[in-house]
Amino acid sequence: MKKAFCAFLALAIALALTGCSGLTIFSNYRHLENIELVRTVTADMEGEGVNVSVYGTAGEQSEARMYERSGPSIGVAMGKLILMPLGREAILSHTEAMLIGEDLAKKSIRECLDYVERFSEMRLDTGVLVVRDGTARDLLAGLSGSDTPASDTIAGLGRNIAKVGEGYFFTAREIASSMADNGCALIQCVRGVKEEKLFEARGDLNLEPAGFAVLKDGAVCEYLTDEETLGAMLLLGKYKSRNMDLALPGAAVTVSVDLAKTDMEPVFDRDGRLTELRVRLSLRANVINVAGEADITDEAVRRQCERELTEIMTGAVRAAVRRSQELKIDYLDLEGVVRRSSPLKLEDMPGAWEDIFPGLPVTVEGSGVLARTYDIADPPEKSGKEDKNPWEKLTESLKGN
Amino acid sequence: MGKTDRITERQLKVLIFVSLLSPMIRILPASAVLFAGRAAWLSTALALPAGAALVAFTRWARKNAPEDMGLADMAVAGLGPVLGRIFDVLCALWLTFYGGFIARSAAERLLATVYPNGNTPIFIIVMLAVALFTASGLTKTLSRTAEILMPILAAVIAVALLSALPDVSAAHLLPVTYRDIKDIAYGALPIFDVMAAFAYFLFLSGHVRRPKSQRPNRFPWLIMLAAVAFGVTFFTLGTLGEKLAVSMENAFFMVIRNIKVLGVVERVEAVVVTIWIVTDFIFLAAVLMIVAEIWKTVTGVKKRAVFVLPSAALSGAAAFLIAGNAFAFQRWSDFIIPAINILFAVILIPAALTVGKLRRRY
Repeated sequence: MKKAFCAFLALAIALALTGCSGLTIFSNYRHLENIELVRTVTADMEGEGVNVSVYGTAGEQSEARMYERSGPSIGVAMGKLILMPLGREAILSHTEAMLIGEDLAKKSIRECLDYVERFSEMRLDTGVLVVRDGTARDLLAGLSGSDTPASDTIAGLGRNIAKVGEGYFFTAREIASSMADNGCALIQCVRGVKEEKLFEARGDLNLEPAGFAVLKDGAVCEYLTDEETLGAMLLLGKYKSRNMDLALPGAAVTVSVDLAKTDMEPVFDRDGRLTELRVRLSLRANVINVAGEADITDEAVRRQCERELTEIMTGAVRAAVRRSQELKIDYLDLEGVVRRSSPLKLEDMPGAWEDIFPGLPVTVEGSGVLARTYDIADPPEKSGKEDKNPWEKLTESLKGN
Repeated sequence: MGKTDRITERQLKVLIFVSLLSPMIRILPASAVLFAGRAAWLSTALALPAGAALVAFTRWARKNAPEDMGLADMAVAGLGPVLGRIFDVLCALWLTFYGGFIARSAAERLLATVYPNGNTPIFIIVMLAVALFTASGLTKTLSRTAEILMPILAAVIAVALLSALPDVSAAHLLPVTYRDIKDIAYGALPIFDVMAAFAYFLFLSGHVRRPKSQRPNRFPWLIMLAAVAFGVTFFTLGTLGEKLAVSMENAFFMVIRNIKVLGVVERVEAVVVTIWIVTDFIFLAAVLMIVAEIWKTVTGVKKRAVFVLPSAALSGAAAFLIAGNAFAFQRWSDFIIPAINILFAVILIPAALTVGKLRRRY
């Protein structure tokens, strides 16, 4: 009797394991055909409340869709959006980016970050962006084309933005950590640009990076220029590469700056006062193309290029530091740099960092090296020299020696 | 002790390691960072020798005790029948309460990480029911289970931690100077607190087959536990930074939620939460078994299993009553439970062993 009862109990439990009824023990199980995989979330101000939209697909083959809802808070709006209007249940576990409209970002992004941190489906590595000159919702809608899903466009920019030196997609983790540690942070801005449609299947807008914005007390308070953004990337170690034109007399040399290393050294006087912060920038660039009359094999031309390159990059660093000091917001975490370099001296230093930082002399020096020109060293159409075969070149060289 | 329910010393060590994984992951890194700030990742280096000293002391104190004498019997022998039984009852009551705390802690964590709109009672009841059956069985069954699970747990934790390496920033971990030593020592306290909980497993030492020759003091389980403590603190702190890590209840889990294994597999947190629950289950079953073992000595009843059901019921009641909400529960978890744990594991149990040793009762 006991065995029969146990067998019956086991069978009854097995019924609940199927997931086919309300009896199921898998309370959060969702059928694949009933879910909408969200990749992008937007948040904008709407009156006193928040408008949120999600963008995702029902599966690999399904066309991307966008849904929106409004509510007094992001939590309420997202709650409605996830469960109510779709006919499917939105899954946020694969959200790659959260776009926040400028108005909401200027009010505060804390609510958005808080939602990302608390909601168990979302990840702290979600990229958080501020949308300038428009709402995040309109940007997402404008980016969407039948052959160019908005999420792919945003993800593509996220992957490559640092490689073109125009910014960096900070994640919710990086922003929250910086805000917790320093009380401020940087955040990447983007904007939608209306351009001629080169093919019908693309969206109405194109996505462009729009520099960094400065977050103070959880809200966007200032925007950095392109030069300041580049300088901030260099100082924060977020720089990967960038193509830039170097102007020479009668020519322009385009180089790819593929290495930029920053070393910072605080200088203290005998009384323990911080008197200066020295920034040393080491750069390496490669020639991409040459326009006009310039012989890149000429040592003097290369030195000129290197001077020009160093000037541009050190100028960007100076601009970023100057703006930070003007705003009295240490978003470059220079205090952290000094702390890591001279922790005891910083602790013993008379005066508070907040008071010293705005007036701290920051010296920026740099050295650039033009490393290679790839396969073409001295094309005749650029230098104006006649082409010689390798044997002639070798003979001339030997004679010269 | 029944001759059939014998385990090896190694099996007991594995059982201790697997059981203590759960509280170690629960309290770290927040507890250590609270005291030591960004230097908390070095606190394990100070906690390890302190833990080793405590283990070595208890080993020395039990050296000449008969093989089948567990801590409950040693307390009766060392402190006398009345005082010894009072000591045993106090330990049993505390561990019954602690069992409830473990069940509630596991339930709260499941809600915070995977089932946001769930209810704690169902998780508490299921955990206690499963632990009840296991604790009613033989000590060697539970130890063997831990032995089988250990390599899986170690592998999952190692892979999860190493996958978090790309997100670790030196800026979150440095600088550390000699001025931080005091803070590092304070940060070692919560880690030592968890390590010290091994003392409860001395109540099961009567089931351990003693090796023919006395082996030198080696504590691989303690070193492995310290490695986990170091890994959890280092990677969580290095990823989130000091202030963000402290502000999170399950900071380690937040890090796990972000990792990609070799850039291929994402969202592995379900696996990590599952193994975490397994360690909770092993710990809870072990605690219920220990409580039943103590009552067996106190009452003289030969069958240990009869005490498991009432102990589980009392632990369940404690789990429900311990705190009204997650905020109050966090206070218990951060301050009250560690303090009581120190009292029993570091003060009362070693003191009882010392008295017995001084009175040459074993």
